[in-house]
Amino acid sequence: MSNEGYYFSDKVIVTNILNGNIQGFAIVIKNTEKLVTQIVSKMTINEDDQKDLMQDIYLKAYQNLSSFQFKSKLSTWIANIAYNTTINYLQKRKIPVIGIANTIEEKFIATENPESATIKTEAVEILNAAIAKLPPLYKTLITLYHLEELPNKEISEITNLPEGTIKSYLYRARIILKDNINHHYKSEQL
Amino acid sequence: MNSIHLTDEMLQAYLLKEIHDDSIVTHLTVCSTCKDRVEEYRFLIDSVQKIETETFSFNVTALAMNNIMRYAKRKSKKQELTFWGLLIFLLIAISSFSIPFIPRILAIFYSQSILTILLVIGTGLVVLLFLVADITRQYKTKKDKIFKNNLQPIL
Repeated sequence: MSNEGYYFSDKVIVTNILNGNIQGFAIVIKNTEKLVTQIVSKMTINEDDQKDLMQDIYLKAYQNLSSFQFKSKLSTWIANIAYNTTINYLQKRKIPVIGIANTIEEKFIATENPESATIKTEAVEILNAAIAKLPPLYKTLITLYHLEELPNKEISEITNLPEGTIKSYLYRARIILKDNINHHYKSEQL
Repeated sequence: MNSIHLTDEMLQAYLLKEIHDDSIVTHLTVCSTCKDRVEEYRFLIDSVQKIETETFSFNVTALAMNNIMRYAKRKSKKQELTFWGLLIFLLIAISSFSIPFIPRILAIFYSQSILTILLVIGTGLVVLLFLVADITRQYKTKKDKIFKNNLQPIL
């Protein structure tokens, strides 16, 4: 769908909700749930916290819907709320958003059971484990760029980070992932 | 053998088609180290794209909508309480202000015949009914304008 198409359907949905059709907000949740889930799940682990965050994010979106100015897609605006809410959550719990990630994660192999490690040789599984070890922001950026296939401009609108910074973080995240995967395979060969 | 290799940033940018530089292509054809590194990145990017997107075990829509409905109910109750509170306050204020004038108004009626009093009350009721009917009609017209024809947004 073109941007104009997005904006048109966003306007219809938002106008309907602002006219008093609260149930219409369920459509907004359905349309944005996948993207918001990616942001929250990549930055948090505890399910109760995730539930609280999802409720908080959509309540904030509903409360501030009248201030949405259609300058971006509705999904991008809600993803921005999700990102800021989750960052606040991490800051309150003093969890570093961009922790100093080890280029080669020592615990990555050490904590693995040798038998299960042999079974888990699937590249995607190894990569999943490597991604899980990344700092929250890197995880989110990798997910938004490679899985959600969002352009840097849209990621920039969601995270309020300059496009150059996003590119730089993505480069670093990929280097860490590549090194972790190489380390994993080398350890297996030994 | 090449002693100068391409940076990780250059290799990634080349793979993601963020840069188009013939010198990178040329270098990759002659440098096996960089070729291996670019293959490692290609494998990484391909694998990342194969990862299934995460979903929560709970129903996000139901959870969020319940929370929103609770909020909307609370908000509506609060608005209702504010409205009635304000109305009662206004009624009490107006009544208190009117008390000193009531004997003077009643004195006007005492000096008149029953027929005149009935005529005044009747005229007052007709005017009141006319005003209520007019306000209701205006309210309905405005409500229709606001809620029925606004689904076509102005682009």
